[in-house]
Amino acid sequence: MFFAGLIPSYLALLAFLVAMVLTILALLRKQSALPTLASHLAKSAFILQTIGVISLVVMLVLEDYTNYYVASVVNPAMPGILKITALWGGQAGSLFFWSWLVSLIVFIALSGKRKLIDAWSFLVLAANVSFFLGLSLFGDNPFVRIWALSDGSLVSSLFAPEVGAVVHKLGIGMGLNPLLRHPGMIIHPPMLYVGYALFFVPFAVGISTLIQKQNDNRLIHDTRTWVVLGWVFLTGGIVLGSWWSYDVLGWGGYWAWDPVETASLLPWLTATALLHSFLLERKRGIFKRFNFVLVLLTYLLVVFSIFVTRSGLVNSVHAFSESTISIPLMVFMCLWLVTSIGMLVWRWKALGGEFEINSPFSREAFFLYSNIILLALTAVCLWGLIFPLINGAVTGNQIVLDRGYYDRTTTPLFLLLVFLLAVCPLIGWNVVQLKRIGKKLWIPLGLSLLTVLILFLTGLRQAMALGGIFLVALGLFTLLTLTIRDGISVGLPKFWGFLWRQRNRYGAWLVHAGILLIALGIVGMETLSTNIQGTMLPQEKMPLMGYAVEFVSVSETYDNPEYMTAAAETILYKDGKEIARLSPAQHIYPERGQFISIPAVDSTLGRDVYLLLVGYDVNVPYITLRMSINPLVNFMWLGGIFLVLGGLCVATTSSHEHAEEELKQEEPLEI
Amino acid sequence: MKKKNTKLIVGVVIIIAAVVYLVASSTLSQSQYFMTVEELQSNQAEYVGKNVRMSGVVLGDSIVYDPQTLDLTFQVAQIPGDHRVIEQMGGMAVVLAQAAHDPALPKITIHYKGPRPDLLKDEAQAIITGSLDKNGVFQASELLLKCPSKYQSELPDQSQ
Repeated sequence: MFFAGLIPSYLALLAFLVAMVLTILALLRKQSALPTLASHLAKSAFILQTIGVISLVVMLVLEDYTNYYVASVVNPAMPGILKITALWGGQAGSLFFWSWLVSLIVFIALSGKRKLIDAWSFLVLAANVSFFLGLSLFGDNPFVRIWALSDGSLVSSLFAPEVGAVVHKLGIGMGLNPLLRHPGMIIHPPMLYVGYALFFVPFAVGISTLIQKQNDNRLIHDTRTWVVLGWVFLTGGIVLGSWWSYDVLGWGGYWAWDPVETASLLPWLTATALLHSFLLERKRGIFKRFNFVLVLLTYLLVVFSIFVTRSGLVNSVHAFSESTISIPLMVFMCLWLVTSIGMLVWRWKALGGEFEINSPFSREAFFLYSNIILLALTAVCLWGLIFPLINGAVTGNQIVLDRGYYDRTTTPLFLLLVFLLAVCPLIGWNVVQLKRIGKKLWIPLGLSLLTVLILFLTGLRQAMALGGIFLVALGLFTLLTLTIRDGISVGLPKFWGFLWRQRNRYGAWLVHAGILLIALGIVGMETLSTNIQGTMLPQEKMPLMGYAVEFVSVSETYDNPEYMTAAAETILYKDGKEIARLSPAQHIYPERGQFISIPAVDSTLGRDVYLLLVGYDVNVPYITLRMSINPLVNFMWLGGIFLVLGGLCVATTSSHEHAEEELKQEEPLEI
Repeated sequence: MKKKNTKLIVGVVIIIAAVVYLVASSTLSQSQYFMTVEELQSNQAEYVGKNVRMSGVVLGDSIVYDPQTLDLTFQVAQIPGDHRVIEQMGGMAVVLAQAAHDPALPKITIHYKGPRPDLLKDEAQAIITGSLDKNGVFQASELLLKCPSKYQSELPDQSQ
């Protein structure tokens, strides 16, 4: 399996390099079309890389402990599915997997019916695949084997490190970190990676367009679907990561402003801005420069995010600890940064579109404000990540910016963004008469005030929570009343068909509703969440906000070969009535000297009661339990689903066919 | 056309100015020094009561935890703060393993009130936020632990 994995991988790299040479030769002959042979080579390279990936997966599943990577992420007790996903459970494997995904995206881009990839954009894409594949093969090769030297010591190397060394098979592997054995963590990295890789195509097309000075709308027409899909995957990945940390890390937190989390948010912010400025250029022909800046920036931030995750320069729980690949990554990133800035400066004049916004209360203007806030958020987060690095390099003092910094800087910006999002659908394109807004605002405003009033009367007193819920309700009721209004004007029988034909618009509204729901979840977690912690003997009860948890018993079981399970039996009461039996547990891995908490959660849409087993003793017996009540938190995950579904609706429309039709149809609805 | 955009540009400038102010003030007020155990100990007096973040290696034998009161105390020993130094010494895994068993290194006692973190164990890297009290005990408000590297170190070294 070693050669079946290694040789195709090297050949794939070679094929990409040859394809690049062919492309450069074609360009020197002033041919801007991609040579067919280069395209075939790139596609074959993908097949070869796939063979490499399959070989590695086979080695993982068959537990080939002569392989260093296999031995570090797999052990016999792990279920089969986890052995496959161990492909991206460690640095070397995930880098290899990532280079394969980039290659997959290039393969898809080359296979499309439309001639999307010309010589220049191919060159950009092939350079990216070659770089990451090269980084994997020469920087951190997943096929490295374990060798026994003649003096009996073990080293790892691809080929015999000295004459007489023999391949050594370890008896057992280390296995995947237990924290990573969660469905959220299994799907989270591939989703994020696919999202990242999808942004490579718009970037390549953008660079090619800039070089060739094509002043048509190629960038939007050809790459909109890629951007939307990239956004969908990235969103899905981020939400899954957040769910994972809520469910697994044991403290019920969903977002910690950890550098790696923050880094993955950066391209999301610029991609979100990009989607808006794409729409605006399509509809009104403005923001052309903005589009190019955002396409290039999103790609650069993707590379930056990979750099933060893999370089180990930033202290983070998620980062792969040490790394030999940080310097090449840094150089690669800087090269593209310089290239991008150079291209933009070079073509800045040629890119000039009209920039005219008729009224500061038009939807165009609101798009502009939103995008400025999104970019401001990007800048704030980027600063939080790089200021400590710069400061460290200049003064020698290491400082950090943590939650406190991000909470202070991003909260007002996010609030502003949610406000814009809530009122934006009320505002028409071009010029707006404020009177008209007033008329449309009436119903949602009334309903959301009513909601807040009811909540106030039923005992909710926190001003921040009421304010947040008001904003969210305003946004949701606005979307709802506008949709109902559309429904009435179209007529119910035709309405579903109408919704589908107009899915560009309603998909976007679904996404906006998703963001509002996530905001609702955050309001719940940040302003209303409460917790209590205590040590209990059997039959004792711990009360919190009308709930109470009773400790029944605690037991240790050994039914898993890898870990011992300590589980507490508890009963959850609400107003004195039993509502659930919950069993918070710990999995204790004696050989790792590590334990992970398995929280028990009673979930309804309105709230989670979250129980965490903090400590226990089976002999006394007693348990120490942490109980949190997290109101509204599930709206966050529901919102995440809305984002993905809405994004998919938008992605299935093609900008070519629908742009015109939609323009005609949408206007009358803006009454 | 120029005139119509003036208002807009003024608005944009105001937003940017507000963001810059926000970032600058938050950077100043929220920055924490990130120090090693040694740096903190050699300037104890200077840092008493100040919010600092510190990185060290957990000494497994020193962990004392009372689940009744949730009082957690343990010691951490010095590890270098500079990435390059760690790299030269053979990587974080090696540094952690050595530091955990070197009695000569500076140590500091940490006190934390709360549930014992899953990853707190011998040779784990602890990143601790908090402040030094008058008795030289570091009162932690936040614990962050990293320790996948231990298992890596049981595997053979990379030749090359």
